[in-house]
Amino acid sequence: MSKIRTFFIIFIGASIGGSMRYLISLFLVSGSGFPWGTLFVNLTGAFFLPLLIHYLYDRYHLSATTVLALTTGLIGSYTTFSTMTADTYYLFASGNMKFLTLYLIATMIGGFLFSLLGNYLAAIRATFYYRHERNQANIEQKKDTDD
Amino acid sequence: MNVVLVALGATLGAYLRNELTVASRKVKLDFPWMTFLINAVGAFLLGVVTAKIGNKAILLFLGTGMCGGFTTFGTFNFELSQLWFQHRYVRCFIYFCLSYIFGILGFALGIQL
Repeated sequence: MSKIRTFFIIFIGASIGGSMRYLISLFLVSGSGFPWGTLFVNLTGAFFLPLLIHYLYDRYHLSATTVLALTTGLIGSYTTFSTMTADTYYLFASGNMKFLTLYLIATMIGGFLFSLLGNYLAAIRATFYYRHERNQANIEQKKDTDD
Repeated sequence: MNVVLVALGATLGAYLRNELTVASRKVKLDFPWMTFLINAVGAFLLGVVTAKIGNKAILLFLGTGMCGGFTTFGTFNFELSQLWFQHRYVRCFIYFCLSYIFGILGFALGIQL
């Protein structure tokens, strides 16, 4: 795949992903100082990434490079690791240990669990998809032999 | 306007990450070392940028946009769950711990430089 095409795909994905992250962070500002915005984008991103990867492979039969560029751009920019470390630092510096603990547990454990869940659902969806494809192929084959 | 700055920064960050990830495949370490490196370095850079830059527009472009787009939480957790599904639990745990420790310490170091 050409460099220009890769850049273009990432440009589309990252623009949408990055803007969404920024807008959600503005929308989810809380008076309490708990970083809801970062937590929300990271958890939803971790959940949807595996689903999106498998969906793009199955549905559109895209190459691995294209799928990587699309998901790297969109979900990669939608989620963020650096802002999460910044939030952690500020919560620690402000001495709010309750929020810090909650935030770290929700991010570390929650992110991992959401990702596992996304992968499970993607696998289940793929199983149904391939079964459906195989049945279709069998029906076609049967038709051919009947003729 | 702010959204455009973030979007442009995120594009540059994500493109850089994609190029580095593709290039890193040449070095087979059986460990997603490039994402780890990207997240640690990105967190450090966000710390530096936050501490050094006062202009809000530039901060949005470089910090929220570029560092935010360069680092990733989605891919990090996807790689974690891949290691988990391959039953490589020790590797998964090491990747998990190293990323969080170096990421948070990286930001703290960057902001205090």
